[in-house]
Amino acid sequence: MPSAAAPTGADIAALLPRLRRFARALTGHTADADDVVQIAVERALMRIDQFQPGTKLEAWLLSIVRNAWIDEARARTRRSKTFVAPEAGENVGSDGEAAMHAKLEANDVWAAMQQLPEEQREAVALVCVEGLAYREAAEALGVPIGTVTSRLARGREALARLLGETP
Amino acid sequence: MSVSDEKLIAFVDGELDGAERAEVEAALAADATLAARAEAQRKLRTRLSAAFDGALDEPVPERLRAATEAAPRAADVASMADRRAAKTRPQWSFREWGAMAASLVGGLVIGLGAMNANAPMIAPGDDGLVARGQLARALDTQLASDEAGAVRIGLSFRDQNGAYCRTFDARGTAGLACNQQPLAGRAHGRKREHRRSAYGERTGGEKCWRRWTNASRANRWMPTAKPKRAKRAGTEQPCPGREAIREPSMGSARNVGHGSRLSASLRPGSVEH
Repeated sequence: MPSAAAPTGADIAALLPRLRRFARALTGHTADADDVVQIAVERALMRIDQFQPGTKLEAWLLSIVRNAWIDEARARTRRSKTFVAPEAGENVGSDGEAAMHAKLEANDVWAAMQQLPEEQREAVALVCVEGLAYREAAEALGVPIGTVTSRLARGREALARLLGETP
Repeated sequence: MSVSDEKLIAFVDGELDGAERAEVEAALAADATLAARAEAQRKLRTRLSAAFDGALDEPVPERLRAATEAAPRAADVASMADRRAAKTRPQWSFREWGAMAASLVGGLVIGLGAMNANAPMIAPGDDGLVARGQLARALDTQLASDEAGAVRIGLSFRDQNGAYCRTFDARGTAGLACNQQPLAGRAHGRKREHRRSAYGERTGGEKCWRRWTNASRANRWMPTAKPKRAKRAGTEQPCPGREAIREPSMGSARNVGHGSRLSASLRPGSVEH
């Protein structure tokens, strides 16, 4: 039986706007975001007894959303991959992957986020969009803090170039 | 000094503590380019934090809100397979069945029909009638899909105490038999209204037993309902058992009597659909 401290469906419902926001930053599409959140909610309720009372519910749920997105992204082609003319600019977010470029509007944050590799994007989404501390983000992602800071730094440098936020 | 990208970002994000923060502040004061980079990252962070905030202002779609209510609790359902199976079971309140299992069978009308008098299928036990012989064997082991024998098994239920009830149609004698389990106090104090709600508007006879799904369990089966002749489909008789529901007596909440126990090698709790 769930203990008295176990979160309820209502607790999760209260966090839905934040989960949707995070999922939009990850997926780049509002419809995909809601699909991922629905899967995440179902999984969270199935394993609600695994939640450690006293820890942050939002961090736990965000990690479930993130994992649901990983599963979903593996099952489909990334829509954000587009080929553009060579003058589009330098490689961004290479990380050993083939870099895809797009000519972007200066303020198109959504598209810029989609240009990042998953691991940088999710770090940026947790820290900059959802406001998690580095330690919380590391826990949600299951990686050391040093990994979070390096992915965060690379992602933010890439975004700065893409979005014209360069000195 | 040079400040690494990571440290600069951590500074902008407020993640550095006293000593390190002072270090970076000093470096920024001394290096205009570094300071410009820090400012650019601060602006970027503000843009990032606001770019997806539309989600916070929009009303949550109903399907997401419903998803937070709809899922089963881990305590009720052990696995996805159980959850799928649970969805196909009829939505009975099992307390009604438990009450019926505990109740004595009074005023029982047995249509002997084609039952062989030398091999009675229903016989007196300590607390009521008990299934015997062919009927007991069928109740123990037969699947609802097997319609070839003398006894047809309809629906089986498992109530929350693990007791099973099954409906049967034995050539003109139809009824409901419940596995007599010690229900310990659960059989008592239950309101009559709950019991009446078990069948709703459904009709009896063919419709009744056909409607139910299968479970199997080895034990003694006791008819607790008023068996009646199986009706043609479409008649408006209530399902077997409705008339026989009554207050359980104190003595009924324990295993009955004697008589041959039929062995059946079934795993308790197994459910076959």
